Amino acid sequence: MTHLGHYPEGSRHLLMGNEAIVRGALEAGVRMAAGYPGTPSSEIIENLAAISKDPSLHLYVEWSVNEKVALEVASSASFAGLKTMAVMKQPGLNVAADYLLHLSGSGVRGAMVLVSADDPGALSSVNEGETRHYAKLMEIPLLEPGDFQEAKDMTRWAFELSDAIRNVVLVRTVTRLSHASGTVIMGRVPENDKQAFFKHDGFIIDPNEGVVMSPPVEYKHGEQHRKLKQAESLFENSPFNTYTGPDTPELLIITSSICSLYSREAVHMLGLESRVGILKIGTTYPLPRQLMKKHMAACDRIFFVEEVLPFLEEEVKIIAAECAADIGVKTFFGKKNGSLPMVGEMNPDKVIAALSKIMDTAMPQRDAAYAARAGAVAFGGSPHREATFCPGCPHRASFFTLNTALSMDNRNGFVCGDIGCYSMGVLPAGFSTLKTLHAMGSGTGVASGFGKLSKFGMDQPVLSVCGDSTFFHSAMPPLVNAIHNSSDMTLVVLDNSGTAMTGFQPHPGIERDAMGDTAATIDIPAVCRAMGAEVRVCDPFDLHHSRETLLELIGRKGVSVLVLKQGCALSPEKKSSRRYDMRVDETICAGESCGCNRMCTRVFACPGLVWDKEKTKARIDDVTCAGCGFCADICPRGAIVKKEVA
Amino acid sequence: MPILGSTELFDDVHKKDLCVDCGACVGLCPYFVSHNGKIARLFPCTLPQGRCFAHCPKTEVDLNRLSTWMFGSEYDLSALGAVTDIRKAKAGPAMTDRGMFQNGGTVSALLTLGFRSGRITAAALTSRKGLTPEPVLAESEEAVLACSGSKYMASPTLSTVMKESASGSTRRMAVVGTACQMTALAQMRMNPLEREDFRDPVALSIGLFCTWALDTRKLKHLLKDHMDLDSIVSMDVPPPPAQVMTFNTSSGTVDIPLSDIRPLIPKGCGICPDMTAEFADVSVGALEGEPGWNTLIVRTARGAEWVEDAAAQGFLILEAMPEASLANLKTGALGKKKKALLRAKEDNCLNVAPEAGRSALVIDPERVESLLT
Repeated sequence: MTHLGHYPEGSRHLLMGNEAIVRGALEAGVRMAAGYPGTPSSEIIENLAAISKDPSLHLYVEWSVNEKVALEVASSASFAGLKTMAVMKQPGLNVAADYLLHLSGSGVRGAMVLVSADDPGALSSVNEGETRHYAKLMEIPLLEPGDFQEAKDMTRWAFELSDAIRNVVLVRTVTRLSHASGTVIMGRVPENDKQAFFKHDGFIIDPNEGVVMSPPVEYKHGEQHRKLKQAESLFENSPFNTYTGPDTPELLIITSSICSLYSREAVHMLGLESRVGILKIGTTYPLPRQLMKKHMAACDRIFFVEEVLPFLEEEVKIIAAECAADIGVKTFFGKKNGSLPMVGEMNPDKVIAALSKIMDTAMPQRDAAYAARAGAVAFGGSPHREATFCPGCPHRASFFTLNTALSMDNRNGFVCGDIGCYSMGVLPAGFSTLKTLHAMGSGTGVASGFGKLSKFGMDQPVLSVCGDSTFFHSAMPPLVNAIHNSSDMTLVVLDNSGTAMTGFQPHPGIERDAMGDTAATIDIPAVCRAMGAEVRVCDPFDLHHSRETLLELIGRKGVSVLVLKQGCALSPEKKSSRRYDMRVDETICAGESCGCNRMCTRVFACPGLVWDKEKTKARIDDVTCAGCGFCADICPRGAIVKKEVA
Repeated sequence: MPILGSTELFDDVHKKDLCVDCGACVGLCPYFVSHNGKIARLFPCTLPQGRCFAHCPKTEVDLNRLSTWMFGSEYDLSALGAVTDIRKAKAGPAMTDRGMFQNGGTVSALLTLGFRSGRITAAALTSRKGLTPEPVLAESEEAVLACSGSKYMASPTLSTVMKESASGSTRRMAVVGTACQMTALAQMRMNPLEREDFRDPVALSIGLFCTWALDTRKLKHLLKDHMDLDSIVSMDVPPPPAQVMTFNTSSGTVDIPLSDIRPLIPKGCGICPDMTAEFADVSVGALEGEPGWNTLIVRTARGAEWVEDAAAQGFLILEAMPEASLANLKTGALGKKKKALLRAKEDNCLNVAPEAGRSALVIDPERVESLLT
């Protein structure tokens, strides 16, 4: 992947969607990129960071503290005349939205592209938020690549568009585009050593040399609309909007993004190529009105295939209503009439089912014997596995401590959750310890409020958790809030030394930055102490010390912080190394006759610990065990023995 | 009576707030622990039967079965339970200069004899850390004296016995505790689950008279505004008409009105019919009107042997129990029984029909009726 900047023009390579986006940005001449990790967007900044040391590419890449700051950082390069990009997953766009509203009002100078990655079906998220409505809300153009080549080409063109209209251009990708791979033909990466300079001495509203700001609002807002109209007229002839099918189809599918591939597959599977046309839209907002009108005039039945919300459907219906006198009344199929589900990820099967119903065509049947056998293998042949923490994961230990401490405290205390691997604390993997789960940093904000409810008779201990990266991202303001407003709560920072869930991207607590340079670190305990919290730091693998400390803290009034610091088991520093060799002493393990009811494997349930059904005793799975040593403290008889690895 | 598991224990005792923190479920498994004066269940356990349920003094306790096993006599709801002898007692000359006692020093004297004579190698007692009562396994007579003095708080004293029993220890122990703890201990000694690895570590059980105990957390909460909890040296409830509880601290004495204290009594104490710790080998309490003496009830043969030896060797001085004091004791004990049984009936936890649920206590219904009418 480090060759992304050097693949020669015209060569063909298998690229992940996110890599294609990176190549597109390089071909556009991007100079700066900033983002915050989040699946499925992370590989974009990661790949740019990996090649950023190449002097011929003239790149500055950073992992910013959060998405709003990433957008702000990226925009600075634009103001100084450079091409720039901000990258985030969709919930991050919510975080950046306030700045985006003002940025889209001020306009940009150097071309600026904002890539936002949606996760339909919430495969790696706790939401299936939609990027596309932001284009409308923020009044900026939106492009949606439909395949891997387009991911590259449209990213490059997004910079051209931004240059033409002098405003931010939004590019939306989805998990199945970002994380799947396809063949991409390379374009040229230009030579470019443009210098940065911020012109600020001109007439105050001069777009090139004045103050970069959204006021005077009415004037700037008008400019923004003019730019949007300009984009729409460019979209009318865009090669990214394509039509395949008969001249006068019985049904017109209007689709975008990865759903265009599902549509093609569905039409092909049902053999409807001669009856159904597919209008694949790449320039989703604002929709090119004349193009839409032309295609709708040729067909009275229209089927929308998109995920997640019916964005295209609603935009097209507005145009259809406004043009009804010219193109006639249409019949629509899509999410609104229930042809396709309003929630969840789209897939070819759903499209085939809907299309066969609309076209009254039988779905292709699988051979019955094959279907039965496939069903049996799929559901009976695979072992049942719950989502759980890795062996040696400090979060399992931390949640064991949190959960048992709250039980011992016996006042119905609870923990407000946050976003990271530790979100799995809502599941048995984390002993179902988390009782609320929303956005980045929200656990501490919610806890700050809970911690004020003693006024209404609530005497339950209130806790929140956040990871180290989340702490910097958005848990600091609610912590300040809790301290200032005299809330009673305890924040537990699950510090595993990196943005672990998305792949160990650095954050402000780590002594290197995205480009691999040494970076100043911000000390979480010191920050919390400076804010005025009572702070303790423990090793989550030390059960008794961590639990006693936590019990002490939740017995106090005011705001306290417990930092449970222990590196992620999968971190490059720890992976494949063990601190302890673990074994179960079978002479001590009493098996089924112990009163423990298999606490080790039934409750603690680290994948490295297994129940030997023949011996009816616990056993260490030597292949899986990461040697953290924590389970030695779980066994009431001390049958699990740890020996320090020499 | 059915022996069930921790789920039922949790439902019947914890959820109904009947737990008195005796400690009989602690130390047997990793699930029940005591923290800061309260028993907590860390995780649900799915075993259908458990020693936790079998030992608990608030789950299906069949007092007649217990009495028959321990004393060979039926539980008849008499004021003091099974009694072979009852005396006034105090520490004898062999206990001179052995420290401060709450009353007559009888318990300390019996334990000292136990250690000196080799009858025991350990004693399960209750100490105090700040105001929090803490189970202690005393392994010397000096360690015993460090635990003297009433705590007036529910304490998981039995957890040490359960740990010893579950770990296969070979120690012989004396156990000192209140009525709920003696009931639980007796149930434990019956080996209710008929485990092959069971060994009874108890050489002597010494019951303490108890009219009520206090919830540790609530007491701390009440007292923290009146005194430094770490400065409390001892506490006492002086006889009527005082109507206060007295706390002796290193910086003076503080009296708290009993009307403030009574609301701190755990709900589980309200259904306890046992003032004199009837399921012990011997029971010890204050002697009304004679502050330097104890009331000593002997209930079993081994209890009698121990007491006689203590007197013979000068650890105890025994005298006849004054008739008037005995009558008052019986009146008080019967009063507690009636009050508790009425409450237990009201709370629907006495002699519950199997199809209607589960009982805390099971007592011959005819005897209950005759006592209450």
